[in-house]
Amino acid sequence: MSEQPQVFTLRQVVSSIRKTIEERYNREYWVKAEMHKLGQTRSGHCYPELVQKEDGKIVAEMRGTIWKHSFDRINAQFIKVVKEPLKEDSTLLMKVKVSFHEIYGISLQISDIDPNYALGELQKERAETLKQLQKENLLDANQKVDFPLLPKRVAIISADSSKGLSDFMKVIEQNDWNYSFFTMLFPATLQGDQAEHTIIAQLNRINRVKDHFDIVVIVRGGGGEVGMSCYNNYNLCKAIASFPLPILTGIGHSTNLTVAEMVSYRNAITPTELGDFLIQAFHNYSVPVKEAAKSIRLFTKSIVELNRSKFLQASLSFKHETRQYISKNHHLLIRHVRNLKTGLIYALQERKERIGRIEQQSSSSCKYLFQQEHRKIQNSLQALPIHGKSVIRNTQNELEKIEHSVRLMNPINVLKRGYSITSFQGKTFSGGTGPGVGDEIITRTEKLVLTSTITQKENNNE
Amino acid sequence: MSEELKYTDAFEELQQIVADIEDGEISVDELSIRVKRAAELIKFCKLKLSSTEEDVNEILKELEDPEG
Repeated sequence: MSEQPQVFTLRQVVSSIRKTIEERYNREYWVKAEMHKLGQTRSGHCYPELVQKEDGKIVAEMRGTIWKHSFDRINAQFIKVVKEPLKEDSTLLMKVKVSFHEIYGISLQISDIDPNYALGELQKERAETLKQLQKENLLDANQKVDFPLLPKRVAIISADSSKGLSDFMKVIEQNDWNYSFFTMLFPATLQGDQAEHTIIAQLNRINRVKDHFDIVVIVRGGGGEVGMSCYNNYNLCKAIASFPLPILTGIGHSTNLTVAEMVSYRNAITPTELGDFLIQAFHNYSVPVKEAAKSIRLFTKSIVELNRSKFLQASLSFKHETRQYISKNHHLLIRHVRNLKTGLIYALQERKERIGRIEQQSSSSCKYLFQQEHRKIQNSLQALPIHGKSVIRNTQNELEKIEHSVRLMNPINVLKRGYSITSFQGKTFSGGTGPGVGDEIITRTEKLVLTSTITQKENNNE
Repeated sequence: MSEELKYTDAFEELQQIVADIEDGEISVDELSIRVKRAAELIKFCKLKLSSTEEDVNEILKELEDPEG
């Protein structure tokens, strides 16, 4: 027969456990854990899920409790220090007391959370994001995207009711220069836990129609300084950095620059400033266009003027040159004519002079010749009588001599002197020829002519 | 994108014409042709500053289209 076992009521057991726990964990501890879900109820109390993960796996899990009054105090402290409300999925340093409730079971009652630890964790996340993006060479990827010359088609990621959005729209739509932008809103939550997912989702949508847009702007404003840690989120920052269009941020806050702002193409402090930047980009396009119109007008005019004056100058100088040429040649011609005239006159004169000279020369030499001849004749004339007389005398002498000789040679005279002349057949003869024996010869003496016949013939050898 | 190229091209071509005219590299013969072209470009650029041709409905249609 077995002893009746002791039976406890559930309440007894639970009370016992509670007592044991309260005795054992009689003070508060600082515990580090990840707050997976905040689990705030309508009453304002929170029942967060606390976990510890190792290699992505949950290795410990426990429910926490934050009473409304604690939560309000902690949250205020967080917003003050971390610039963030208490956020799910963040690792926190919590002051807890193990508590056990008869109905709700065991939980960690959170009386305080260290905001500085949370801040450190956020800064760590920021640093991690930066490091990771740097490793992936994405830090300046969006800044390397070509910025459009005219950023006129703008995809806007903002919240419908955001003051930042209305500030931005006011600047770009009510500009004084009639610049026209095409904008399209892609609504997203811009702060807190939802920001990461909604912004990334909208970036993905814009990417599908990116050919319709020049730039993407993320504008936020009027939301205060809280809930900005999403802009240090790795996934969001990576989506921004690697986006094919330039992303410009104007998320209006005064705390440290977030990674999202750092990796975007350009960050403006406020949506208004961002709008001004776009207007400026339009100016940068418009002003040179206007300047170009002005320049073209000016330079075209000056080119035409320049060519006109060049032409004028050319025609003037043509006129001048032509005149000068004609006048120069006219003068030259006149000079030539004059030169020709003087040359001719001179030449004529020279010829005349030469002829005169020659004339003179020839007349003087003729005269001289005449004189000479005349003199010769005179001389001759003078000499002639003397000569003539002597010639006559000489001739007379000669003649007398010849006459004497002739007289002497006259055969009569010879005959007178005793000589005779014998002839044969009418002719005188000498030498071997002559008449032979028997021939009749005639001999003439001074007074007689004798005819003889030859009886003998002998050679005279005397 | 094609539109963006157009107004970038227009702007660059305009700048080139201005530079050429300023440098005096355009002869009087070409001048009127280039100035006429520049006037067209200026008109186009100015129009681009003050008009948009994108259609929200078209973009929304593309967004809804699963193929897009």
